[in-house]
Amino acid sequence: MNLDWLSQYTVTVLILIFTTMGLALLLHLQLGLTGIGNFGIVGFYGVGMYAFGMFLVHGPWPESWGTIWPFLLSLLFATVAAGLAGLLVGWLIVGLDADGVLLGTLGFATIVYGLSQTNRQWTGGAEGMGTTDYPYSLGTQKASTLLWLGILAVVVALILYYVIRVHRSPYGRLLIATGQNEALARSLGKPTFRGKLVMFATSSAVMGLLGALYGVMLHYIRPVELGIGVTLAAIVGLVVGGAARPWGAVIGVLLVGVLFELVFMVWIPFPTDWRKQALPVIRQMLYGSTLILVLMTRPLGILGRMRRDKTVRRPGRG
Amino acid sequence: MTAEIDRSSESPAEPETGQAPLGRWRFINNPFGRWGLGFAVLVVLVASWGLARKSLVIGVVSDAPLVLAAIGFALLYRLTGLINVAYSETVTMGAYIGMWVNTTFNLDFYITLIPTAIITGLFSVLTYFAIFRPAKLRNVGVVETIIISFGLSIFIRYGLQFIFGFEFRYYDVPVPKSLSVLGVGVSPFRLTALGTTLGLSLLLIWFIRKSRLGVRIRALAGDEKLAQVSGINPLATTVLIWFLAGVAGGLAGAFYGVNTSCRAWLGWDQFLFILLVVLIGGARGISGVLVAGLATGVALSFLELVPGLNATPVYAQVIVIALFMVILKVRGNRLLETGKV
Repeated sequence: MNLDWLSQYTVTVLILIFTTMGLALLLHLQLGLTGIGNFGIVGFYGVGMYAFGMFLVHGPWPESWGTIWPFLLSLLFATVAAGLAGLLVGWLIVGLDADGVLLGTLGFATIVYGLSQTNRQWTGGAEGMGTTDYPYSLGTQKASTLLWLGILAVVVALILYYVIRVHRSPYGRLLIATGQNEALARSLGKPTFRGKLVMFATSSAVMGLLGALYGVMLHYIRPVELGIGVTLAAIVGLVVGGAARPWGAVIGVLLVGVLFELVFMVWIPFPTDWRKQALPVIRQMLYGSTLILVLMTRPLGILGRMRRDKTVRRPGRG
Repeated sequence: MTAEIDRSSESPAEPETGQAPLGRWRFINNPFGRWGLGFAVLVVLVASWGLARKSLVIGVVSDAPLVLAAIGFALLYRLTGLINVAYSETVTMGAYIGMWVNTTFNLDFYITLIPTAIITGLFSVLTYFAIFRPAKLRNVGVVETIIISFGLSIFIRYGLQFIFGFEFRYYDVPVPKSLSVLGVGVSPFRLTALGTTLGLSLLLIWFIRKSRLGVRIRALAGDEKLAQVSGINPLATTVLIWFLAGVAGGLAGAFYGVNTSCRAWLGWDQFLFILLVVLIGGARGISGVLVAGLATGVALSFLELVPGLNATPVYAQVIVIALFMVILKVRGNRLLETGKV
């Protein structure tokens, strides 16, 4: 297969966009449905990334298992670790108001970032650690990365399917009710705390899985990867598309990602010496100003209001 | 913490959105439990005097700018009910503007504080008129306002990086001779920072409790409509709050900058601790912020100094953050009542 028309860099950026899309979909469950403003997405993502790397590199794997089993088990371990972290953080913050949630999630992300820099024998410290190559080989590096993009796309599609299912389920209606008026939902006897906690833990677990998958693509994980940019990209994408709608995350992240990461950073022929320092800084400024502009002028994003007719059955129709 | 006990927050009716405080920890709310805990802390301090002395001096002196920044943030948070993430950029801006004035006009550091405070105060007012006032007029929700301020913070931070570059910048000040306080060497700039912090916070406490404008500010925070009916101009009062917050943030930034270096991430690196201090101490007004801020500094330097623990600064921060998150959980949501400063 001739892949000359596609640059390795573009494939990498596409993987970044799909990862962000998955994160934004999960943030949609937290922020859009339940009203939990998670500013520590990168923390859960980082737990997944580092748990995968550490378990794979330091785990006592017998030779006879080959490479695929340790790989899959490490992915599972990363997901579970991020889920447990989500359970703990969720237990701490889910009952608090927006300020407490901001503090708790931001604090968690800072803790993860701090721990990833220390413990040299486990994480490699500030220099980072090498993990693994893809568990298959298609000849060229580009073809292998392309297959990884396909796998990631399948995972994101599954997340989207799950989110849409949640929207139409009684559990989703509980989350929506909690997000809109928690006191009322609780007075009707709904277990709002438990509902929020379960949602927070599961979505955090999947965030960890996405972090682990992205870490495989990186081959070499460093604390630098756990910057504020991950959280920012997911929030901007979701807000632009529409936080209340499942497809909002997909459309928003695609739009923002293609526009800022591909068109602005790659396709517009800026002078080469701008690319090193000026362009990444301007891109982050664009992200920030997009967030402000969208929330001020069209707070519901491109797709707009949640369609309650789809989620709530009309009375008298069964 | 024990100086003033806010009786109104101990009303039997818990706000319905919070989790009730955990039963085992309820003794914290009891004055006897509180005094007992304080006494235990005192005993530990006396028993480990050498360590305690060092961490007290280093913690109090090095985190004075944190307290100053937290006071400015608490003003905004308590009086306008706003979590302003972009406040961290006011701090960064204070450091950069002070550095710029200091190196461009060759002014003495203490003189640069005056233009720095005024410019950051005006900048803070500008963000209010450009972003937060329109957002309020459009009835943007609480979480959305936090996200807007997050976007603003990113925009300004990278804007500052674009203007001043990636490399660290330094103030042009003579290397100060360190003074000895309780046997620990301390830079005079840090002592000035502590003095300014204490002076400003006492001034603010007096201003808000006693002065006429302070009464107006509190009235506005309590009930905006009622305040308006009583002839208080809400706009002028709000602008004053934003200006004061900007002044406090800018001064804190200048002290951070002169003690270490100016970089675009300076304010953001402190933001989490500002937030921690305000959410934990802010329920008891400015004096609470003062105590919580200094306690945070002492706890951080104590953890770094304990010999057996070998805690790097990162570990100390991780432990303190985790501790504060647990405190927040244990106390539940008692921050619903606003406007009691």
